[in-house]
Amino acid sequence: MNRLYTSLEPRVIDDGMLKLAVGEQRPQEEAGKLAKQEGILFKDVLSLQLDFRNILRIDNLWQFENLKKLQLNNNIIEKIEGLENLTHLVWLDLSFNNIETIEGLDTLVNLEDLSLFNNCISNIDSLDALIKLQVLSLGNNQIDNMMNIIYLRRFRCLRTLSLSGNPISEVEDYKMFICAYLPDLVYLDFRRIDDHTKEVAEAKHHYSIEELKHRENLMQAQMEEEQARREELEKHKTAFVEHLNGSFLFDSMYAEDSEGNKLSSLPGVSELLESLTYRDKFVIICVNIFEYGLKHQEKRKTELDTFSECVHEAIQENQEQGKRKIAKFEEKHLMSLSAIREEVEMPNIEKMILECSTDISELFDALMTLEMQLVEQLEETINMFERNIVHLVGLFIKNVQSLYPFCDDLLCTMAQCRDLENHHHEKLLEISISTLEKAVKGNLDKDLSEDVRGLFVDKNTIVNAVGASHDIHLLKIDNREDELVTRINSWCTRLVDKIRRDEIMRNRKRVKEISLYIDHMKSELDNLEYSDILD
Amino acid sequence: MEVLREKVEEEEEAEREDAAERAERARTEKMMRQVEVRKEETTLTQEMLRDLEKKLSEIRIPVSVEVPAFTKDTIDISMLPVSYKTNTSKEEQLLQLADNFSRQYSHLCPDRVPLFLHPLNECEVPKFVSTTLRPTLMPYPELYNWDSCAQFVSDFLTMVPLPDPLKPPLHLYSSSTVLKYQKGNCFDFSTLLCSMLIGSGYDAYCVNGYGSQDLCHMDLTREVCPLTVKPKETIKREEKVLPKKYTIRPPRDLCSRFEQEQEMKRQQEIRAQEEKRLKEEEERLMEAEKANPDALHGLRVHSWVLVLSGKREVPENFFIDPFTARSYSTQDEHFLGIESLWNHKNYWINMQDCWNCCKDLIFDLGDPVRWEYMLLGTDKPELFLTEDDSGINNEDDVENLHSWVEQIEISPEAFETRCPNGKKVIQYKRAKLEKWAPYLNHNGLVSRLTTYEDLECTNILEIKEWYRNREDMLELRHINKTTALKTDYFKPGHPRALRVHSYKSMQPEMDRVIEFYETARVDGLIKREETPRTMTEYYRGRSDFLSYRHVDFGPRVKKLTLSSAESNPRPVVKITERFFRNPAKPAEEDVAERVFLVAEERIQLRYHCREDHITASKREFLRRSEVDSEGNKIIVTPDMCITFEVEPMEHTKKLLYQYETLMHLKKEEKLSRRQVWESELEVLEILKLLKEEEEVHTLTISIYDTKRNEKSKEYREAMERMMHEEHLRQVETQLDYLAPFLVQLPPGEKLTRWQAVRLKDECLSDFKQRLINKANLIQARFEKETQELQKKQQWYQENQVTLTPEDEDLYLSYCSQAMFRIRILEQRLNRHKELAPLKYLALEEKLHKDPRLGELLKMFT
Repeated sequence: MNRLYTSLEPRVIDDGMLKLAVGEQRPQEEAGKLAKQEGILFKDVLSLQLDFRNILRIDNLWQFENLKKLQLNNNIIEKIEGLENLTHLVWLDLSFNNIETIEGLDTLVNLEDLSLFNNCISNIDSLDALIKLQVLSLGNNQIDNMMNIIYLRRFRCLRTLSLSGNPISEVEDYKMFICAYLPDLVYLDFRRIDDHTKEVAEAKHHYSIEELKHRENLMQAQMEEEQARREELEKHKTAFVEHLNGSFLFDSMYAEDSEGNKLSSLPGVSELLESLTYRDKFVIICVNIFEYGLKHQEKRKTELDTFSECVHEAIQENQEQGKRKIAKFEEKHLMSLSAIREEVEMPNIEKMILECSTDISELFDALMTLEMQLVEQLEETINMFERNIVHLVGLFIKNVQSLYPFCDDLLCTMAQCRDLENHHHEKLLEISISTLEKAVKGNLDKDLSEDVRGLFVDKNTIVNAVGASHDIHLLKIDNREDELVTRINSWCTRLVDKIRRDEIMRNRKRVKEISLYIDHMKSELDNLEYSDILD
Repeated sequence: MEVLREKVEEEEEAEREDAAERAERARTEKMMRQVEVRKEETTLTQEMLRDLEKKLSEIRIPVSVEVPAFTKDTIDISMLPVSYKTNTSKEEQLLQLADNFSRQYSHLCPDRVPLFLHPLNECEVPKFVSTTLRPTLMPYPELYNWDSCAQFVSDFLTMVPLPDPLKPPLHLYSSSTVLKYQKGNCFDFSTLLCSMLIGSGYDAYCVNGYGSQDLCHMDLTREVCPLTVKPKETIKREEKVLPKKYTIRPPRDLCSRFEQEQEMKRQQEIRAQEEKRLKEEEERLMEAEKANPDALHGLRVHSWVLVLSGKREVPENFFIDPFTARSYSTQDEHFLGIESLWNHKNYWINMQDCWNCCKDLIFDLGDPVRWEYMLLGTDKPELFLTEDDSGINNEDDVENLHSWVEQIEISPEAFETRCPNGKKVIQYKRAKLEKWAPYLNHNGLVSRLTTYEDLECTNILEIKEWYRNREDMLELRHINKTTALKTDYFKPGHPRALRVHSYKSMQPEMDRVIEFYETARVDGLIKREETPRTMTEYYRGRSDFLSYRHVDFGPRVKKLTLSSAESNPRPVVKITERFFRNPAKPAEEDVAERVFLVAEERIQLRYHCREDHITASKREFLRRSEVDSEGNKIIVTPDMCITFEVEPMEHTKKLLYQYETLMHLKKEEKLSRRQVWESELEVLEILKLLKEEEEVHTLTISIYDTKRNEKSKEYREAMERMMHEEHLRQVETQLDYLAPFLVQLPPGEKLTRWQAVRLKDECLSDFKQRLINKANLIQARFEKETQELQKKQQWYQENQVTLTPEDEDLYLSYCSQAMFRIRILEQRLNRHKELAPLKYLALEEKLHKDPRLGELLKMFT
């Protein structure tokens, strides 16, 4: 409790207070008069001073969208709130308040200078979003744990820190500790840290810092690795062949297949599973599909790149032409305008104005023709691109699905997966039947578990079990295939849609721009007419 | 009979031997006599020479000789080494071989000219031409390549025409002599050049052949000066970009194909006519330029250098004319035929027909049908393989082909001076090139090219002057006489970062263009163009992104006082400024162009165009009567600003925004006007600086140039002087302290012990006296100072009341100085007192050790 709220009653930020505050800081003299005349919109305000107003609660600040600097010092604020919308804030002063915890600052990513001097804060945290933080003032608070300093290591831009007046500043090692753990810091408690101190501090805390650094580096490396893996997966996803570069599909086939797992314990089955004939082949197919998918992705990408490049070039060229036309027109227009201004005789003026307006409409025609031409050209190109991309996608799907492999000696279609599964199923059935026969004869292996034995009661059961396992496997394969096909198709349609939409947007924008310009020209001419008439 | 025959045979043999012996003796005698002749040259050679000269003058066809002929009587042969004056036995052998070869050749080809195999050298000794070549690698890196090498030879030597233009010369002097006198005929030139080229690794040969008149007389008046030929602009072949898959189709062309074709045809016709006209014109000119045909065409003997491909990455064979240092292709029509060629190892005769100049010659020296070689085994490698065995036999011949010429040496001074007396003039077709050695001209001029309009060289078209080592870094001055435009080119390093300055007069406010090295300037100015009423500046790399500023000036307001441009700048009518795109700002806030119409009080702004837009925002401020007379009160009204915005924004509509922008612009306008004024001032300053530089034209001297660099010379001399003084001092320290005492004794006698002791005592007492004297002297001075000070103090105390403050100051300063002096004297005295006994002991010690006294004294002690 810094201040007792005795003298004045606590207040809340309301419209009146804000208007008053904004009004107080408006420019002086002539400009001030103008500002008063017109009024100032809250969203145009860049800095706001609300100090010494006994404010208890921050509120009603959401209108100040573009605020860069906010001063709320010397109030009786107890909680940081209501600042979520002020994302452009660079400077925030909350000193001399009654704040106990740091909070509500998660959206202020541009904040560089934060002052929480003379509050009741006991712990530094919730500042993670403030990556640009340079100056942090936390003096005269209740911070008593040295570990808070280590938290501050994440702020790479932090150069100035003040922590004096906290319990930790009483610790004898305080300064050294901070200098050692925050080596980029330049000013501590309003004093420059000299190089000598830095060296001494580093020497003192050398080992612990090294350890800390090592840990941080490990963490960093881990995160990077994770990131890389995610990116890789993302890349595979865009190629629609994620998780096909290994035995993932095969494993997932057996993941939910209890019968299959049971059956795999049969003698001969495990060999069947592990041998090159089934599992490996399956994996090879998957990997081939995966590689084929990546290759196709590359193809689609180059297709898209050339397309966008060409479109971009065309648009640029068109814009250049338009600009040239406008520049030419403007040159002429300026000359004729000045000629009109100097002309005295009315009929001549009228004639010239008429000429000018025809010029303007000619320009309009020319620009619109250019635009329409471009629209036509682009339409054609987009159609062509759509045809090509749809064809590419179709080819990919067909090849992945088809019964006939696109290259003879490679195993790379889903159909082949199915074939393989069918083959495996047959073999499994064979083994099961033979095992059943053995069971019927009573000479079943002793080491088979009870579950498995349960299957070999009669032929139906075993066939059903094997069949169920087979069905599950096939289902998995089908699902994967379906997923691939639907996703690639939807990607294709979305892409084409987006291209068309963009083109339409562009066209509308351009037309709007042209008409705006022409309107302006016309109105300028009209104004000239009026003024001439008035004269 | 048998015996008889044998006897006869024996006799014959003896006779033969005798004859051989006699011949041998005769030859050696002759040689001896020759050597003797050399020794008594003063009398004999003169006569011989006169004879020779007479004979030569009889033979000589009168040629227009401007340069005094390089004859033997100008050469001092007394200093030449023995190898110049005699032949070794190997050389004799070689000469015999050559003679034999020559005889066979003339027998086989009787209709051909005798070979140029062993001309006489400066000492009248026949020498085989291959041995006259002395392959030498020059220590100058500039002479490593053939072009600079040839240029050096052509610059360094003065050309002397052949005594008989139809025959090879009788003499071929060594390159060292030629270099010494800096004169020579074509054979001397090519021998020197060939030696240097072979030395630096080229496969080069001296050629004896026939050349055109221009070539033989080093007449370049029909040649276009290589410096005037503009390098042909390499036409960049536009790479046809393959139309990409999605390139948009061009809009349909609605023009008539037929009309286009007709138009094209018409154009072509016009062009053809034009071309025809030009061609005719050219032909006419050519006709005028063509010289009257040469009566001796194809007979004029010339010598040049052939460089074969293969070594030093030479891609194909070419000729170098040593006179002009120009390279020609082997097909060039100036070269009319080849008799023979040689390098330092072998000699080849051309067996090919030269009816078509040298165009059909094949330079495969390994082909014995085309090229008859003289020495075996030194052939081109391709032949070496086939005739391996025969090659080995003659190997020692090859090995021992040593040159008799001394190492070719060019002193650094001569190398720098290059041309004889450091000056050379070459006349080209419609051009004259003058060359000077660096530092010869006071203004650093090293070469001047004057181009003329006509063939007679009377109307000067333009002058180009190259400078070197100028302190103001002026490199080239180009004066166009027709337009009177001067263009100066500067190297980096001018104090004002000037690069190019083109002007007609040095008066300010005239047409001029100054270009700068913008990286050396703080303001990033690239170019400033001036006309009497405008100034345009181009910038690059500025933090405010300014790229262009154009100023229109009005007529100067007349002032009563004498006004210079500095005190009375011209009124600015209009300033146009353009800016590059500032990527940090959005396009609609980034000004692309702003125009201050100062006279009309208007400001026009044009903003940059956004990436995907074709129109740009514009804003125009009219500042009509908004400033009150007393202050900056401006009444802003909505009609003061005409705005067009591509995307209308809310805040820009406000008056406040407009007002602020306007105020900002007003400030900027003031700043721009100030910058304009500064630019004008800078131009004045530059002009002043240039004028000063023109008058002073100091030349820079490299710190490594020990000969010219006065400063370093002084420094070096000072060092030497210091060394000398040091040396003197050392001598002085060894000064004999006993000398004055020894003089008293009779000289040359050995000292007796008694004498020695006396000597020592005298010496010591003398030294003691000196020490005491010195102490007394110091003491006396000390006392004197003290007394004076006391006097002064007394005087001060007496007159203290009446003193002026200045006097008091004077007194005080005197006191402090006197005190200082006294203190020093005191210190000196103390020091002397301390050191005196030590010095005395030291002398005693020294005397003890003195070799003259030491022994005697030792015995005594």
